[in-house]
Amino acid sequence: MAAAVPSTSRARAAAALLLLLLGCCWAALAGGPQDQAEQFFRSGHTNNWAVLVCTSRFWFNYRHVANTLSVYRSVKRLGIPDSHIVLMLADDMACNPRNPKPATVFSHKNMELNVYGDDVEVDYRSYEVTVENFLRVLTGRIPPSTPRSKRLLSDDRSNILIYMTGHGGNGFLKFQDSEEITNVELADAFEQMWQKRRYNELLFIIDTCQGASMYERFYSPNIMALASSQVGEDSLSHQPDLGIGVHLMDRYTFYVLEFLEEIHPASQTNMNDLFQVCPKSLCVSTPGHRTDLFQRDPQKVLITDFFGSVRKVEITTETLSLDRDVAGFESKFPEEELATEPLKYAEQLPVAQIIHQKPKQKDWHPPGGFILGLWALIIMVFFKTYGIKHMKHVF
Amino acid sequence: MAAPLVLVVLAAVTVRAALYRSSLAAFIAERVEVASPLNAWKRVVEGLALLDLGVSPYSGAIFHETPLIIYLFHFLIEYAELVFMITDVLTAVALYLAIQDFNKVVFKKQKLLIELDKYAPDVAELIQTPMEMHYIPLKVALFYLLNPYTVMSCVAKSTCAINNSVIAFFILATIKGSAFLSAVFLALATYQSLYPLTLFAPALLYLLQRQFIPIKLKSKSFWLYTMQYASLYLCSLVVIICLSFFLLNSWDFIPSVYGFILSVPDLTPNIGLFWYFFAEMFEHFSLFFVCVFQINVFFYTIPLAIKLKEHPVFFMFVQLAIISIFKSYPTLGDVALYMAFLPVWSHLYRFLRNIFILSCVLIFCSFLFPVLWHLWIYAGSANSNFYYAITLTFNIGQILLISDYFYAFLRREYYLTHGLHLTRQDGTEAMLVLK
Repeated sequence: MAAAVPSTSRARAAAALLLLLLGCCWAALAGGPQDQAEQFFRSGHTNNWAVLVCTSRFWFNYRHVANTLSVYRSVKRLGIPDSHIVLMLADDMACNPRNPKPATVFSHKNMELNVYGDDVEVDYRSYEVTVENFLRVLTGRIPPSTPRSKRLLSDDRSNILIYMTGHGGNGFLKFQDSEEITNVELADAFEQMWQKRRYNELLFIIDTCQGASMYERFYSPNIMALASSQVGEDSLSHQPDLGIGVHLMDRYTFYVLEFLEEIHPASQTNMNDLFQVCPKSLCVSTPGHRTDLFQRDPQKVLITDFFGSVRKVEITTETLSLDRDVAGFESKFPEEELATEPLKYAEQLPVAQIIHQKPKQKDWHPPGGFILGLWALIIMVFFKTYGIKHMKHVF
Repeated sequence: MAAPLVLVVLAAVTVRAALYRSSLAAFIAERVEVASPLNAWKRVVEGLALLDLGVSPYSGAIFHETPLIIYLFHFLIEYAELVFMITDVLTAVALYLAIQDFNKVVFKKQKLLIELDKYAPDVAELIQTPMEMHYIPLKVALFYLLNPYTVMSCVAKSTCAINNSVIAFFILATIKGSAFLSAVFLALATYQSLYPLTLFAPALLYLLQRQFIPIKLKSKSFWLYTMQYASLYLCSLVVIICLSFFLLNSWDFIPSVYGFILSVPDLTPNIGLFWYFFAEMFEHFSLFFVCVFQINVFFYTIPLAIKLKEHPVFFMFVQLAIISIFKSYPTLGDVALYMAFLPVWSHLYRFLRNIFILSCVLIFCSFLFPVLWHLWIYAGSANSNFYYAITLTFNIGQILLISDYFYAFLRREYYLTHGLHLTRQDGTEAMLVLK
């Protein structure tokens, strides 16, 4: 009996194990395309935008312009077109009279990489880079005369990359040596963007001293933020070039650029790798990041979700039938609506009438009472002066 | 006398028509000397356009004309040039008739005084004869119509012409002796621009004189007549203002017209004295100085009334001159009105002491106005001080002209009663000095 019971239980156990294994295999098999499908639908964005801001002017802030242009170069290389990039540079380093190599901006000493190529499109230049313009770009509250290249025309399916660099402090970032933007303002601007559905997900990168203070106040969903240094730390510059005479880049952005140079449009590198860029040993400051407002797991967020403009293309070899339950679809609508005539455009007011419709000008006329009163007075004066008896001579 | 007057009128109309058709019309229309914020034609057009758009013309700070002007130009705006030419002609004809009557009055009075032996024996050369007085009305009409100031004012289509014509009709009515019409026209003139209020005193004095009522403060008939005239005047003024209310159904016009005249907010340069002072004054003094400047216009009425109570028409002339010098927004049209009266006092010529210098000052200043305006505004090599200097000189010239005439008038009156050859008590020749 002891031998018979173990055999049936063993058989049962083996059958259960087999079933489990089959189930797992099936789940794994089925879960493969499902995972892929989830991956396909998970990021949820259909277009990419980038707002790249360099806030400092003067020749010795060369590195901030080089920072911004490096990110611009990467973003453009990975597929975001100029029409979707708002590039704000507060000063012109390439054509600065102090630039010994005019029309170039180098990011590495020994002039290995010129980030100012032939096709750099600067949208906001020089004194146009102000806090007001930056906030107007973000929130979309722009005068109607602004050209398209200066607008952030994002919608609720846009992933936006916002990169800012310059001089900052605890809670603020300096613009143009004369004004500053605070972290509260920035957080409110992002909230406005969220309420107006101007972004799907937002990646905010800042490379300034005490940069982490700038993302402390964010409270809108779907924002991920990276900064080059914590509160109380300074972000340091990388190397000076003795030929040009200034520091060419900041450390954090230098290593980010190195990291991004290895990314190509199809790479699957995720955000967690970006968080590891520039450890304290290389950067001297401690880079920080904030992901609590972000709904997806950073592990699942691709770098190209923000830095590139990757179109989701699914190649399939099987034919899909598109005729679904048409009858069921139509029955949702009540019969009466189908009975009305479909509206045709031509039945509206002719365009000429719409365009030239002005309020009809009513000519002003003096009120009748006034005219009556005036002429009555005039006639009274006349007759008082000349007497009624003259009437027959007048008429 | 009708034929020469018609000739003069024709000549004047031709000159104006020729200027209207020339390119100078636009240039003259924007000169600040003839177009002030109160009477510029541009502002009338703007106000009427605002009215057509359904907005009250008084809602901004552009339009400062009275509602009766709105009514007048609402129907006549296409014939504006004709209206202004006709206005000028009417003014000239009114002045002509007024001075004709005035001459008769003067002559009658003179005859009376001669018969009463009020004149000294040796003043035969001072007495006015009908021969020399015959052409004075024509000269007055001529002076008004062909005065370059009047022509420029007409070409600029400044509504100062309408002000002038109302005052001219008032003078005509007063000299004809009709108290009612005089009160009505004076009310109209005051309604148009506040300052003819001061002409109440000379008109009253003239009418009292005409009614042979002696001007004694204790006399009952004096007060009775004064009350009658004052009540006629005030009633017509109230009636006109209430009537204006019904044009736009609002009292907006009162702060826009009278508030504007009295508080002088617009400091565009003109030929007057207000703009420069108030442009450089500190805010907390401006109320005080506005009051001082406005009182200055009304201040001379009572002393002049006391001095010139026997000669109300001369008083009216001096008062008109004072209004056009000291008002808040004077223009050359106002100057032209009192200058039209100068031929009436042409018999004072021998007593005028500075007439050559003064006429030179006035003529040169008239030429320097556009020159220094150009240097200040367009060339940028002068500044407002230069223009204000010319304004000051022009006004000083006018003031000295008036005081010269005033002195000459008083001197003649003195000589008439005391004889031409004045001697002191010891028989040597005496000099008459104005103290």
